[in-house]
Amino acid sequence: MAALVFDQLVKRFGDFTAVDGLSFTVPEGGVFGFLGGNGAGKTTSVRMMLDIIRPDAGRIEILGRSPSRANAPKIGFLPEERGLYRLMTVEDTVIYFGRLKGLSAADAAGRTAVLLERLGLAQWAKTTLDKLSKGMSQKVQLATALVNRPSLLILDEPFSGLDPVNQGVLEEIVLEMAKGGATVIFSTHVMQHAERLSDRLLLLARGRKVFEGTQAQARALLPGRLLLTARHDPSALPGVASATASGPPQEGWQQWNITLLPGQDAGGLLQHCTANGFALRGFDLHKPSLHDVFLHLVGGPLTGDKP
Amino acid sequence: MNNRILLVARRDFLQLVRTRAFKLTLLIVPALLAISVGATSFLRPPATVAYVMADEGGGFAPVIERRLELDYQRQLLRDLSAYAARWNAAPPGDGWADDAGVEAFVHDGGVDAALRRMKLPAGTPAFKRAPRTYLRVPAPQGVPTQAGAAAFGRAITPLLAGDIETPQGKRALSAAVYIPARGAPRIWTNGRANGANLIEVIQEERSHLARVAALAANGLDPATAARIDTLRAPLAVTAPPANGGRAQMQIRSAVPLALVYLLLMAALITGGMMLQGVIEERSNRLLEAVLACVEPRELMLGKLLGLGAVGLTIIAAWVGCALLAAFTIDGVAADYLRPSLAALNQPWMILAMVFYFFTGYLILAMAYLAIGSLSDSMQDAQAYLMPVTMGMLLPVMLMVMSSLQNPGGWLPQVMSWIPLYTPFAMLARLGMGVSLSEVLGTGVLLVGFVTLELVVLGRVFRASLLSTGQPPKLGTFLKLMLRAD
Repeated sequence: MAALVFDQLVKRFGDFTAVDGLSFTVPEGGVFGFLGGNGAGKTTSVRMMLDIIRPDAGRIEILGRSPSRANAPKIGFLPEERGLYRLMTVEDTVIYFGRLKGLSAADAAGRTAVLLERLGLAQWAKTTLDKLSKGMSQKVQLATALVNRPSLLILDEPFSGLDPVNQGVLEEIVLEMAKGGATVIFSTHVMQHAERLSDRLLLLARGRKVFEGTQAQARALLPGRLLLTARHDPSALPGVASATASGPPQEGWQQWNITLLPGQDAGGLLQHCTANGFALRGFDLHKPSLHDVFLHLVGGPLTGDKP
Repeated sequence: MNNRILLVARRDFLQLVRTRAFKLTLLIVPALLAISVGATSFLRPPATVAYVMADEGGGFAPVIERRLELDYQRQLLRDLSAYAARWNAAPPGDGWADDAGVEAFVHDGGVDAALRRMKLPAGTPAFKRAPRTYLRVPAPQGVPTQAGAAAFGRAITPLLAGDIETPQGKRALSAAVYIPARGAPRIWTNGRANGANLIEVIQEERSHLARVAALAANGLDPATAARIDTLRAPLAVTAPPANGGRAQMQIRSAVPLALVYLLLMAALITGGMMLQGVIEERSNRLLEAVLACVEPRELMLGKLLGLGAVGLTIIAAWVGCALLAAFTIDGVAADYLRPSLAALNQPWMILAMVFYFFTGYLILAMAYLAIGSLSDSMQDAQAYLMPVTMGMLLPVMLMVMSSLQNPGGWLPQVMSWIPLYTPFAMLARLGMGVSLSEVLGTGVLLVGFVTLELVVLGRVFRASLLSTGQPPKLGTFLKLMLRAD
């Protein structure tokens, strides 16, 4: 069973189409990156998954059911725009969300205590939120998402506003959840986070899907780049699209910037060189980053207007 | 009821009752009661004051004392008549009796004898005698009483600022009177209002003597002249029976009208709290996390329930304080509370009162909730609040005043059939008696209106919860109200 299915989803706000015929599937387990610039439709899609807003067209299936609050006990959600009740204590806040997600009072209290300990918030349990720093408040909000031990964790721009230490803590938690069998969907416009965490990716631009698949599949969309150090011009080698000399030769060896033909595997080129006695002194493969892939697919930087 | 609605209600309730604003609100009524009781007793002239009277001739002072005594006994007779009417006993005499009637009352044993004749059942609260207003005390030492008005005035004036010893303990020296053998009496007072009556008495008695002298000078026998001048025309006063008449009608309306005020105050205060709560949720961007677990409809109902509980807590505290004060302060419970509650003698009237109270609360609370969902700040909310508050407050206050002036007036009757004002108008009229058919008719209309309000303002609430930017204009607002879910 897929954790999430979007089938031809459309959502409009007046004249603005935030999500335009979006279809994708998130398999159960693992970490799914939901990537796109501002205004790509990530938050709108997340809100539709949770039934906070309803689509104008299309179908959503989440944990095998239609979106509704009945799914809340199995879902953890960390919204992009974060805020909590300023005058509630840390403990009461987490318990409150636990209870809203169907936990009994005793279970909610027990799980809250464990979570606060895990997140280093135990000593602040009785403190009201208006007395906490922003970073600590964000950890409390994370606790509200995790208190029900969700099988599907949805994180909307989870790293924004977190310092590097807390970003590390959050990454650990995401990986721990995935390892425990949960499905984690997180939206971000920071590609480095997606590269570190996600098994599968969805790239969005202007409400439309531009890519869905694994990181390797995403990178394969860009031609491979190599830095070769060879005695002879590699332009004629099979699979090479172009070769440009870099700097003066040294003791007969020349550095070459190689661009492979689309779909061409760098390993194949190395095998050909070895088998045919093409002398090599250096063979450095440059994997394209997700950022490069994004630029390649979208044709522009990660910017745009939010709906 | 849905558990999530109760959870939202509980959270909102607990958060609000922990605020300073709530605690201050709870204290408003006790504080106002204490201030009003304190101010009344502070500002009211003392019940009994002392006066000094120097009478050179010695003939006028007894006349004044007799007049004051007769006036006091007449007051007792009138109070006793009201007491008898309240406890369904035979009246002790005519409260508007002339001097002869009052003298007969005193001759027959006064208050004590009259009370014995009433044969009141055991447990009837005791009759409380009003204290005498004036106590004559001898001139203090050093104040000359036969050396002329000027010397008397010089000596007595400084003493008017303080108290003087009387048989009943120390009392304020309110007035000093010097009656020369010839010429006009002179009076010095301490400026407090209760000196005025004494002056009137003296003037009236002097005028009486002057009129008798004038009649005698014109050939009339002095005894006949005196008799003519003290003539009082007989009066037959018919007062409304107990629990009747306009004054009693107003008394009977005390509880329902108090409920109108309570409803307005509680709804406006808790509405303001609710508004702040929703605005906080919107501006803190925490609604999205809540809405992932709770339907907007559940959130709305939870808030209405939570805030309703806050309102009820406030009202319970206020009513409790008011009842405590009513039973503590002499006569309030007997004079106002019991007659007022007696008017609500049908079980359906109590039910109607509770129904109007809750629907009235709901109408205002829902309006505040919708305003909160449209506003990012209290400043935004002001644009909507002013017309809503004024639109409710002014007509209701006007209607309450009209009810007090003229209990059967047209304004409360008309407003009873305008659903927005039905709860207030019907509550105000309940004490004066309304028909069951009118209660049912307005009730059906009201239920329809509240349901419609919940639906259309509920749409506004749901549609506006996550919106940002400028509050919608009137056209957009109407569209939100009419848009189906």
